[in-house]
Amino acid sequence: MSIQTKSNRDYSAFEADLSGAILNTRLLIRLLKWMRPYWFTLTVSFVLVCVSSFFAIVLLLISSILVIDHILQREVNVIVPDFGLINLTEGLAHSTGFSQLFVACVLYAVAQLVWAVAVHYHRVTLTHAVVNGLRDLRRDLFQHLETRPASFYDNVAVGRVMTRVTNDIEALYELLRGLGSLIGEFLPFCFALVVMLRINLEMSLVLLVYLPLLAVITVIFRRYTRRLFRLVRQSVSALNQNLQENLNGLQVVQISGREDFNYRRYQRINANNLGFETRSMRHETIYTSFNENIASMAIGVILWFAGGKVLQEVITLGGLILFTRFIDMLFHPIVVLGEQINILFRAMASGERIFQALDWDESLHEPENPVTLPERLKGQIEFRNLEFAYREEPVLKGVSLTIQPGENLAIVGTTGSGKSTLIRLLNRFYDVPDGCIFLDGIDINDIRSKDLRQRIGVVLQDFHIFSGSIHDNITLGDSSLTRATVIAASQYVNADQFIEALPDGYDTQLSERGQNLSQGQRQLLAFARVLAANPEILVLDEATANIDTESELLIQDAMEVLTTTRTSIIIAHRLQTIQNSDRVLVLDHGRIAELGTHDELLQAKGIYHTLHNFQFRQDSIDSDSR
Amino acid sequence: MFRDLLRLWKYVRKYKGRLTSGIVLFLFARCCEVSIPMFLGVGIDRLATGQGDLLYPICGIFAAAVLRFFIVTSARIAVRRASFLVQRDLRNVFYQHLQRMGPHFFAKFAVGDLMTRAIADIQLVRRLIGNGTTMVVIFVYATLFGFGCMFYLSPQLLLVVLPPLPVVLIYAWRTSSRLGIASRRVQEKLADLGSHVQENLTGIRTIQAMAQEENEQRRFAKHSQAYSDKFFDHARIHSLMQAIMPSLAAVSIVGILGYGGHLVLTEQLTVGAFAVYFFYVNMIVQPFRVAGMIISLIQRGAVASQRLHQVLDYAPEIKDSPIDEVPEIIRGEIKIQDLTYAYPHSAQPSLLDINLTIARGESIAIMGRIGCGKTTLLKQLVRLLDTPAGAVYFDGYDVRDYPLQQLRTQVAFVPQDTFLFAEPMRSNITYDQPRRSIDQVWQAADAASLSETVEAMERKMETIVGERGVTLSGGQKQRTTVARGVIRHAPVLVLDDCFASVDTETEDYILQSLRKLRVDQTTILVSHRVSTAKHADRILIMDQGRIVEVGTHEELIRLNGRYADLERMQREGADFDYLSYQRSVGTFK
Repeated sequence: MSIQTKSNRDYSAFEADLSGAILNTRLLIRLLKWMRPYWFTLTVSFVLVCVSSFFAIVLLLISSILVIDHILQREVNVIVPDFGLINLTEGLAHSTGFSQLFVACVLYAVAQLVWAVAVHYHRVTLTHAVVNGLRDLRRDLFQHLETRPASFYDNVAVGRVMTRVTNDIEALYELLRGLGSLIGEFLPFCFALVVMLRINLEMSLVLLVYLPLLAVITVIFRRYTRRLFRLVRQSVSALNQNLQENLNGLQVVQISGREDFNYRRYQRINANNLGFETRSMRHETIYTSFNENIASMAIGVILWFAGGKVLQEVITLGGLILFTRFIDMLFHPIVVLGEQINILFRAMASGERIFQALDWDESLHEPENPVTLPERLKGQIEFRNLEFAYREEPVLKGVSLTIQPGENLAIVGTTGSGKSTLIRLLNRFYDVPDGCIFLDGIDINDIRSKDLRQRIGVVLQDFHIFSGSIHDNITLGDSSLTRATVIAASQYVNADQFIEALPDGYDTQLSERGQNLSQGQRQLLAFARVLAANPEILVLDEATANIDTESELLIQDAMEVLTTTRTSIIIAHRLQTIQNSDRVLVLDHGRIAELGTHDELLQAKGIYHTLHNFQFRQDSIDSDSR
Repeated sequence: MFRDLLRLWKYVRKYKGRLTSGIVLFLFARCCEVSIPMFLGVGIDRLATGQGDLLYPICGIFAAAVLRFFIVTSARIAVRRASFLVQRDLRNVFYQHLQRMGPHFFAKFAVGDLMTRAIADIQLVRRLIGNGTTMVVIFVYATLFGFGCMFYLSPQLLLVVLPPLPVVLIYAWRTSSRLGIASRRVQEKLADLGSHVQENLTGIRTIQAMAQEENEQRRFAKHSQAYSDKFFDHARIHSLMQAIMPSLAAVSIVGILGYGGHLVLTEQLTVGAFAVYFFYVNMIVQPFRVAGMIISLIQRGAVASQRLHQVLDYAPEIKDSPIDEVPEIIRGEIKIQDLTYAYPHSAQPSLLDINLTIARGESIAIMGRIGCGKTTLLKQLVRLLDTPAGAVYFDGYDVRDYPLQQLRTQVAFVPQDTFLFAEPMRSNITYDQPRRSIDQVWQAADAASLSETVEAMERKMETIVGERGVTLSGGQKQRTTVARGVIRHAPVLVLDDCFASVDTETEDYILQSLRKLRVDQTTILVSHRVSTAKHADRILIMDQGRIVEVGTHEELIRLNGRYADLERMQREGADFDYLSYQRSVGTFK
């Protein structure tokens, strides 16, 4: 029963399950699992960012304390931590004979070089680790999605699943790089703080008072704009959805004369979007300008408080200048944090969506001890009292049937009679209870679904053409299939004619969804694909719908080729196409209503007889009159 | 490139007032900005010489900071607002334009491509106008004022600041183009990856049915790796640029340290001027660093403008030039006269000398192989293709003389491909006129044998269908589109192979209800089934763009031509000797 509840899960509501927390530690810890293989690179990266932050401070110290205080002002009692710069300069000047000023310039150049190298390789190593870690995560996510059963894809929109592999992983790049850049901002911040406190506590406090103020303003601003950002995003996606749908259905729009109505609707959405964008932009602008304003004011504040202290020789002039140069280093991280928070917030949601997708545990029950199938199966299929329901309502109600090796069985029935379900179950697109379906006497639940599907060739109603060449579409990447095999298969199913007529023959590139092929041609291609794979059992689902009579005859001809040597099950609306079948199965509301040869069923005067007569009523009158 | 940029003027012109005021305000803001280091320099000098009076510089800094805040905020808002307004206008124009486009246009531009243009390219134009203007203005003002102040403080020292700057500029320029290429590569690879995932998940059933999961994972890994590589390349170039730019600028700073220090020691320069010199170098270098970004913004904006105009320049294929004399209501008499039509870029005509008169209230069935011109013919009736002049007449007037809106409203065309909007069932059925009563909607649904399906849905007519709603089967979709056509009670109804996914029984029901509803109204339908076609007043057989047989069912059977063959084929089914038939008629296309 657990299977049932899972397939009832409503995936359309999955957005609602997201927690929406800004800092989701569980998520970060989980993410770390993918970063673990790259821990060495990450460590190197961290060491490098420490080095670069240190040298960023050194650069400022050289230009203020060393040059202004020591060399220009000839200040003797410099109490600033100079990391030995003054002694180093004096020593070097003494031993080389160059002036101290020259030595200071050289030191500056060297420090700049070290900073540049360290900061560059810090970013390179960090990116390297992040890119690789996320590539692995993407691989795992894709693999996970790829192996979800059909029941899963019945309940989700492909587009929404797809964005998890693309956009959401993208957002994680932002997240990890954002975290990296925050480290790059806050390390110099800490170093600067240490230096400032050593210079003068009181002065440091004057500057530090700003930080909580800035932080509070940032928090208020971000909280306020987050709502606005969401509105902006929603209005943008509404705009895009509207446009996309209108383009996809433009022919309907035009033949319904709805252009003006739709245009007015779009204008409304667009105006809406403009309103949100403008409001959000105003807030953003005021906030940014205000930050800059605080930084400028801080210069005045430093001058105000430090002026007296310089005169009292509590701090040096260079110390004062150093303070003004630290302003950016102190304020910038907080501004960046504010900027990053929205990105982090969004990325957290993306991360949640990714892990949510990885947690979708809906899966087919694979056997613990799978049976090894023989080289070639006989192709006997048995359904034993098969019952099945997608949701509450049963679709199959006790179907029992044995199909003999090599037999051609046709299934007939109205929409919803359970035809398609029967063959989907045979293919294990859905889980069935043990002891219901047997292949050569083996319960299909004991066979790995992958092995099973290799033995059953399916031509589904919505056959899919992959972008790539015709050849690729027939072999589906199986490199053991040679061109000769492909051509032979195509010739067998009458596909050769149209393929050869294409500009590049078998190497013709097909576009997405095979738009450059007609319906009938795609059908024949699907046949070639199945024949090349050479399975023991063939299943065709409503394969002959939507095709003109002549193509249908070509297809029928091909089908004869396909079905003579193997067990086959065919579902079709056209009774003519199944007259060659050994037996006909009539399904009605999930039950076997009739089973027998074409002639037997006609004589039985049941459902099949009615269906048959319905289609042939007029024809027989006409042929009588002829 | 300049031509592309100039073409944007049409959209910007409306908001030039905002832009100009923004640009002027930025000038004042810059004045305030440069005065702050000046005041600081004065303060430092006073401290260095032991003077205690700092009131003047401190007040100066505060005043300049506050003033700057107000000016720069209004300047930025003015420019950005203008850019958003342009964005809105461009979107509207683009949307309106796309709605008038025809099939050739959409053969040339894929929907995905158009979406990118509508989203990304319009956004690029907005950024060019908003950020681009701001950045250029800041660059120009910062350079002018920065050099001005440095010159004022010490003309000699300016000489050592200058030499590295051109190098910085050239480097920024060159790297930014490399960066642009790298970033495009990243986008390309991302798009590849995205389309692979989409294709894969759309075809997941086939992949699983064919046990292709591992193959697909390998293909995916290849795309994913390619993307990761390009991503890394881009990050590396970017990081290198971020490291080299300040290092190049540092050459100027070393110059100030050395030569400036010397000037201070020889008392040709004050300490205050020396200290604030660094601020001005920064003021210039900062915009220099984004010089590359400015260039790339302009380049990308120009390309975006070009891409937008490729679409906007595309003249509508179907011109709406009605004349006044045409009747307001089409009665439903159709005359097709010597209609020959070839698709552009196609040597062979798809329709050849079609001549046909259809009386009001007549029902016509068209049959023929795929590609014989059935759909092309039907599309000519509602001008979904550019119908030649003097070829198709409704009630004696050329279709080209009718207003497009009227023509398409009164000649209801139901296309072969079913498209449902992500809207309620009700809106999908009464798509042309959203305000019809619910009874009319149910009536149409009933005629299209759809009411049972809708009744079974939880929210009935309010059920959302389409891409983001309940999934309907192929037959249900087709019946919905048929209902969409039926509800219009149009004088002419054109059904293009609308029953292919509907079973014969249902089809029969729909045809019967159509006959009941459409008294004295013209109906044309395409079908592959003889059982469908035979009920029509007349049957048309088309082949290679020509009408080869016309007549009632009985007449055509007596004629013993194509139609009779088709009838036989469908009756005899698998027993029909197709291969010998094929030899007698020609090869399969």
